[in-house]
Amino acid sequence: MLEAVGVSGMRDLFADIPAEFHLQQGALNLPDGLSEAAIVRKFTQAADKNRNAGSTACFLGGGTYHHFVPAVVDYVISRGEFLTAYTPYQPEISQGTLQTLFEFQTMIARLTGMDVANASMYEAATATAEGALMARRISRKNRVVMAASVNPRYRSVTANYLSRLDGECIEVDCGEFGTDIDKLIEAIDDATACVIVQYPDFYGSVYDLALLRAACDAHKCLMVVVFSDISAFSLIESPGALGADIAVGSGQSLGIPMGYGGPHLGLFTCKQRYVRQMPGRVCGMTKDANGKRGFVLTLSTREQHIRREKATSNICSNQGLMCTAAATYMTLMGDAGLATVARHSAAALQSLVSNLPEHVSTASGAHYNETVLSFTDHAARGRFLAAAQADNIFGGIPLERIEPGAQARHLLVATTEMVEQDDINRYLSALEAAR
Amino acid sequence: MSQSASTTYKYSATSGIQHEEALLFEHAHEAPSSVNLPGVDGDVPADLAAFSRSAAAGIPGLSEPETVRHYVRLSQWNHGIETGFYPLGSCTMKYNPRVNEQVVRLPGLCHIHPDQPDDTVQGALELLYELQQWLCEIAGFSNITLQPAAGAHGELTGLMMIRAALDARGQQHRKKVLVPDSAHGTNPASAALCGMYTVELKSGADGRIDLNELRANLDDDTAALMMTNPNTAGAFESNVKEICSLVHEAGGFVYGDGANLNALVGVARPGDMGIDCLHINVHKTFATPHGGGGPGGGPVAVNDRLAPYLPVPRIEKNGDVFSVLHASDTSIGSVLGAIGQTGVLLRASAYIAAFGRNHLHKIAEDAVLNANYVLSRLKDAYHVPFDGLCKHECLLTDALQEKHGVKTLDIAKQLIDLGFHPMTIYFPLIVHGAMLIEPTETESRETLDAFCDAMLEIAAQCEAGDTDILHEAPIKPFRRRLDETQAARKPVLVWPN
Repeated sequence: MLEAVGVSGMRDLFADIPAEFHLQQGALNLPDGLSEAAIVRKFTQAADKNRNAGSTACFLGGGTYHHFVPAVVDYVISRGEFLTAYTPYQPEISQGTLQTLFEFQTMIARLTGMDVANASMYEAATATAEGALMARRISRKNRVVMAASVNPRYRSVTANYLSRLDGECIEVDCGEFGTDIDKLIEAIDDATACVIVQYPDFYGSVYDLALLRAACDAHKCLMVVVFSDISAFSLIESPGALGADIAVGSGQSLGIPMGYGGPHLGLFTCKQRYVRQMPGRVCGMTKDANGKRGFVLTLSTREQHIRREKATSNICSNQGLMCTAAATYMTLMGDAGLATVARHSAAALQSLVSNLPEHVSTASGAHYNETVLSFTDHAARGRFLAAAQADNIFGGIPLERIEPGAQARHLLVATTEMVEQDDINRYLSALEAAR
Repeated sequence: MSQSASTTYKYSATSGIQHEEALLFEHAHEAPSSVNLPGVDGDVPADLAAFSRSAAAGIPGLSEPETVRHYVRLSQWNHGIETGFYPLGSCTMKYNPRVNEQVVRLPGLCHIHPDQPDDTVQGALELLYELQQWLCEIAGFSNITLQPAAGAHGELTGLMMIRAALDARGQQHRKKVLVPDSAHGTNPASAALCGMYTVELKSGADGRIDLNELRANLDDDTAALMMTNPNTAGAFESNVKEICSLVHEAGGFVYGDGANLNALVGVARPGDMGIDCLHINVHKTFATPHGGGGPGGGPVAVNDRLAPYLPVPRIEKNGDVFSVLHASDTSIGSVLGAIGQTGVLLRASAYIAAFGRNHLHKIAEDAVLNANYVLSRLKDAYHVPFDGLCKHECLLTDALQEKHGVKTLDIAKQLIDLGFHPMTIYFPLIVHGAMLIEPTETESRETLDAFCDAMLEIAAQCEAGDTDILHEAPIKPFRRRLDETQAARKPVLVWPN
């Protein structure tokens, strides 16, 4: 092949790179290459140093949840035709990805009660930021109001995205472990582009959005609803039914493993009339030259490869494979299975909080599958976490790990259908033992 | 053309048992789910029941066998790198080793929560920390963040760090970003999202950055130059050292778009050339699967000038113990709600581990050899806008075919009928009718020859005036050309209830 190319050696192919930058072979400080067997051994040894939720009862949430993933989901996304395809820019040979995306968009729109969904964003925090940016474009206003009961990580990324643009991003204190709608309404004015709330909120609290919706209408501002565990919407009213203009959040609960932070699935939905301001890829239905139904990526004039600096977002990729996972998961579950997941998740939390010993308190009011447990002090919480871990339980996330500045005596606790009654009983025993 | 006829027989698309597959919503559905779910089978508490959803969402369930069949059939309508050649320029569609899929599915790596105590995830932190070291070493930088979820996200992150460094110098006014006209569209879009504005640099006659054009646009407002090297015409910017010096002398930073790192890996390092920060598309260079559009991964490597501003969280090592640092005074903050797309990053780590010190250079060498081989076979039949050897991808145009009424789009669609995924078309924008071909290092000479034969056959059809078939193509896949205008004019994005 060198001969066909007309060079005498490999290095001739790199003659356009100045000689001073050429690396000597083997000069990089890396280990020698491994055989396949050695790679498996290396990763297995590393995996063995971790404790995982496969063998440990997991009460951790905060935006990532240990829901059940049926075997079929991983089988489908392991198929090379899905796994190793590129973005479906050649639709004639990408109808598998495209029809799956169309089904995904439809199911996400239905679950969230929204008109339309796009073909996904990276994850929930960046989706929240994109929601704020989209609300600014639609309203042509640049003041963003955000409830402090939105996951602090989503808030921090959103504030970061907005900080280099004109306008302001205001966080409204919402009281302890809940969402104070009155304070949010007070913070909205005619210059406000949108108000961002999380529902259920970061502390798991479920609350009514009707008054906030009315206040948004009065000030012509958009209501952006964020969610972290979409399984809730098979049980409680959807963001769309509550009047959200834009609803964004995580789809990790739909058949995607926790994976130490990713890849997860950012969801982005909105009202039909706003679709041309949406960020990211979107799949639409059309016909082919023979009149047969088919699917394409569409509305691409919003996107960076066409519109460059005037695009609605800089995003180029999506979480395509995770969309396929979520679509497969939802197909297996159907309404009935999703409702069972939600009911079991809520029932597990109820079973836990209704049996707490008196030295541990929790917020009142409706919660879905997440809440805050408060201990008398840091030491009491530490005793519990150690006792729980000794009995193979991840007991919760110290609140200050996600919410800097929180008192170091609170624990964010979440439940899913993976939590069995025996896990709860052992959890309660650990609380007793660590009194 | 006997060779061509035989390769057509071997590779071209054909029909066997083909299934149309209805939309999920058109299937008959059974009400109960077939999934036997674990958990606490209790009632919904009364205070939560007050918020109950009024009507079911309308998610149609299928039985497990029907679900599998639905998605397997859909998968068969797709072309993937495991199905065949996928020469998309600037996309680096190389084979994705299966062992990488196996190791990330180990329960100890896939069922771990990002907020488990650090002492219960030491193995994951060790692998990620090691990947940081490796990527820094490969790209020639001193520090790195694994957080960005894709290349475009990395661009935003890098520009945020550059703005932070300029702020620290009291140069908040520097917001001008120079972007060559050959750049990816994400470059200007990322600059806009970072509150900066772009000035486009017109490429020189050789498709490279024109030093005079660069000099003329550098001033006291310049924050950065974003450069892709090799550029999207497949050419190495041989003046890279001088380009970086000019930008630095003007008080700006050089951002490296690492989309084309596959041409350099193991052979040369962007950090040595004066680039200040570089995003690395691990889904390109380090073989993590593209998944039909993502997930990707875009770690950003930086030199000492930008290291203080790296995002949090970060992984730290003290002795033999790894921990996660959640806050730092000089950091730009977080750009993602997690430490990174860990599963993607670990695949990249497994890929690098397989090559190691002694074999890594073969990636770039074979990628560049394959691209030049394709160029050498096609350069007489297709117009080559820029002379000389290419790096990992070669750029052609439809100039010779257009006079027969055949455009790049027709050539691409005919390739489908001949059994190949088309190359990248109409990009870069600096030439008319661009065809950007990136074969990658994982293709055999047999496959490259078959593709080149197909390209030559198309060129011959044009010369023979046998062009109707090219305008009609493709005719073999499940769907013919799709009406994109109708899709955009009246968007139907969901199936009606």
